[in-house]
Amino acid sequence: MSAPARDEQPAPRRRERMAGLFLLAAVLFSPPLLGLFGVEGTVLGVPALYAGVFGVWAVVILLAALAGRTR
Amino acid sequence: MEVGLDWGTVLVAALAYLSALFAIAHWADRRQAAGRSVIASPTVFALSLAVYCTTWTFYGSVGRAATLGIGFLPVYLGPTLLMLLAPLLLRKILRIAKAQRITSIADFLSRRYGHSPLLGGLVALTATIGVTPYIALQLKAVAVSFDALTGGGLETTHALFLDQGFLIAAVMALFAIVFGARQIDAAEHHPGMVAAIALESLVKLVAFLAVGIFVVWGLHGGLDSLFAAATARPDLARLFGGDIALEGAASGVWVTTTILSAAAMLCLPRQFQVMVIESVDERQLDRAVWLFPLYLLLINLFVLPVALSGLLTFGGRVDPDLFVVALPLHGGAEWLALLAFLGGLSAAAGMIVVETVALSTMLCNDLVVPVLLRFRPAALARSADPAPLLLMVRRVAIVAILLFGYGYYRLAGSAYALVSIGLISFAAVAQFAPALIGGLYWRGATRRGAVAGVAAGALVWAYTLLLPSFARSGWLPASFIADGPWSIAALRPYALFGLESWDPLAHALFWSALANIGAYVGLSLFDRPDAAERAQAAAFVDVFEPTSAAMPPTSPADWRNAASVGDLARVVARFLGPQRAEQAFAGADPDEPAGPERLRLAERLLAGAIGGASARVALASSVSAGAVEAAELLRMLDETSDVIAHSRQLEMKTAELERATDALRAANDRLTELDRLKDDFLSTVTHELRTPLTSIRALSEILHDDPDLEAEQRQEFLAVIIKESERLTRLINQVLDMAKIEAGALDWRIEAIDPALLLTQAVAATEALFLERGIALSVDIPGNLPPVRGDEDRVIQVVVNLLSNAAKFTPTGGRTRLEAKLDGDTLRIAVIDSGPGVARKDRNIVFERFRQAGDILTGKPAGTGLGLAIAKRIVEHLGGRIGVEDAPAGLDAESGKGATFWFTLPLAEAQAPQGAAG
Repeated sequence: MSAPARDEQPAPRRRERMAGLFLLAAVLFSPPLLGLFGVEGTVLGVPALYAGVFGVWAVVILLAALAGRTR
Repeated sequence: MEVGLDWGTVLVAALAYLSALFAIAHWADRRQAAGRSVIASPTVFALSLAVYCTTWTFYGSVGRAATLGIGFLPVYLGPTLLMLLAPLLLRKILRIAKAQRITSIADFLSRRYGHSPLLGGLVALTATIGVTPYIALQLKAVAVSFDALTGGGLETTHALFLDQGFLIAAVMALFAIVFGARQIDAAEHHPGMVAAIALESLVKLVAFLAVGIFVVWGLHGGLDSLFAAATARPDLARLFGGDIALEGAASGVWVTTTILSAAAMLCLPRQFQVMVIESVDERQLDRAVWLFPLYLLLINLFVLPVALSGLLTFGGRVDPDLFVVALPLHGGAEWLALLAFLGGLSAAAGMIVVETVALSTMLCNDLVVPVLLRFRPAALARSADPAPLLLMVRRVAIVAILLFGYGYYRLAGSAYALVSIGLISFAAVAQFAPALIGGLYWRGATRRGAVAGVAAGALVWAYTLLLPSFARSGWLPASFIADGPWSIAALRPYALFGLESWDPLAHALFWSALANIGAYVGLSLFDRPDAAERAQAAAFVDVFEPTSAAMPPTSPADWRNAASVGDLARVVARFLGPQRAEQAFAGADPDEPAGPERLRLAERLLAGAIGGASARVALASSVSAGAVEAAELLRMLDETSDVIAHSRQLEMKTAELERATDALRAANDRLTELDRLKDDFLSTVTHELRTPLTSIRALSEILHDDPDLEAEQRQEFLAVIIKESERLTRLINQVLDMAKIEAGALDWRIEAIDPALLLTQAVAATEALFLERGIALSVDIPGNLPPVRGDEDRVIQVVVNLLSNAAKFTPTGGRTRLEAKLDGDTLRIAVIDSGPGVARKDRNIVFERFRQAGDILTGKPAGTGLGLAIAKRIVEHLGGRIGVEDAPAGLDAESGKGATFWFTLPLAEAQAPQGAAG
């Protein structure tokens, strides 16, 4: 019944990195920046906007995974 | 519409799939009971979070993409952003929820704001009303996809009452009741439910990916040819341009939707359920941080291609919300269409089950039970075991919620696309976000502020989104939207106070956030919370502080008669069963007073079952009659929490106090010692002054009273008087010197001085003394001694003091030698006599004030007792050392005794660097 007495908060470095990544992602996901992909042209047959949005999203996820892995 | 599948086949497949889910859930429950939990896996946890993806995602995203292009994405970017904050935000929520045994988001908010039943009830009610359209959305999606798959076979053959929506609602209610409302302890986990949710998440992902791959490569021969075909059509090409989703008014919708969905990810009752209540271990978050966003990315990967393909294939003939089923059917892949339908069914089932379980827990713990306990306590008291009653309340709540959802679906469901219905719900639950996040970090946020904020936000939401949805479906007159109620233009729900040309959602979010945050912050700032509220605020805000969970050290006296262990055990047993009560209070005498720790334990246990607000009322009702007022008991409980919250601050303050006390004690010891020394000094000085004064006075009186005294006698007396006066003068001078030195008021003239010169002067000053007493004084000073640093007069004073001491203590016929020699960087000056010497034990004290060696009773002291003390202070001030040791053998071979008083002075050149001299 006792409260879990485990590790305290995650390593401060990691929390800081994630907060930084949050800010970066918040900017990247904003309309003006994503709008930069709204140009003519394709990437491997996929329109630039579509490829760009998913590409940015994937990079953010990758960074999140890496931030958790390396302390 | 193409030819569909036989509806019987679809129904059997759907029921078979749902039965499989039942089996999985049952298996997971059994494994949990066997101690091998499946829900401890971080992957299962991340997959269970994907209950976020409902039929909205599965069907609705394609519909939204068909009109807005990538405008369907913010709903998934918001949760991605929120997950990035997991190490900061979610971890704190999880820790608090575990520590406080939280059962729902309503419980969380109620507990944060001083166990407010009002806030808990308000949140439960708002959530239920707000989420009802969302449940309706699921029913609608399953119903229309069923129609799309079967060509509408069922509806024509059965009564309106028994349509697919109703059927699916009934099955879902059964599932939720069996796996979600089986045990009374709502803070415990539901492994069966979570395992089934995780599996459903896999099924819907696989189904959507399969449909996407089939559509892109099966129907269109690859992404490039699909996009090439779409580009050829201007009306489709604009779907993957930036302007319709990102520019102008659309950018406002984009940002609004991102914020809303991030808030919903946190505040939706089902998300709170899977993310917080069902979480086994905080570290599960570490994987979910990237795995859940990855899931979102994958399930959305083919949304736009499917939408484009549907538009290319069907034009306007099929509702875009149904492309996921219609496209495989059109392509002849009936099995794939069935898989897609099952994927959608998974999405709906997961959402409905978790949402109703979470809502029913809230309604039961934060609305029904507090009301029952307050107004009909007899109903609970009469039943020996209220657990079945509580379970019944939850089951009824599940059924009621689904009926509400079904009602909304029949009433308003047809007026909207799927996504629009869902966004109405998002905006409702987003009203909890300010109080939730503010409560985690802002200690000053208060109950009144939170209640006012949630209430104001919910009212504005209802006015700007819910009522218009009724108007759109004809339940209210359409003029309500166009002209406002009673034709007051300023009150038009989509253009409140004339805020025109905004998207309705952004408009509603703006006004509700303004009302919500404004009331929350404003009232909190001017509120004065009581002790209990402040205690809970501290427990939430400082949850990571190490001592916040500590128990209060001692029990106050007024706890004595509050409640006995037996009382507590009875009330815990009533709600949680005798087994748990036995565990909790094992080994305690039932008649023993419970005390604050046991009372808190009971509160925690009960809160896990029936929520914080109810737990307190139940506890209050437990007290044996006449012992103490129920309100009194609650007050004590609050005070204990208060004590705990303050104990941490107290501990810090105590540590500081201890440090200060140590410093003070040291300072005080030093002061006491100084005070004692001062007293000693004063009494000694007076004593020393009185001795010569007494003899002067006695002799003067004799001279005065006896004028006939013989001249010789008179002469002798006068000589004594003169000698004693001199001694008195010397003493007073020395006392003054001493006082000046100690006060630091002496003027020092420190310079390079010639030691030979000053030693010669000192010898000249004392030579007569030695001659008088018949002592041989030899002087041994080498030539060309280097200059030393010091104050010439003071150094002479020291040497004279040492020499006169030697003259005093050396017996007649003895010897004294003054010598000086270099000793490293210093000049060592020593006065060696052949007197009685200084006993080893006295060597330190001879330099103290008024401490003369030897027994003070044996004879009259020969000096003032200040000379050596002053010498020591002078030498030390000049940077030298002073000491006494045995005289070297050979000075006086007969007695073999004697003392060497020595001191050192720094050489003047020693100040300069050695290298420069050499």
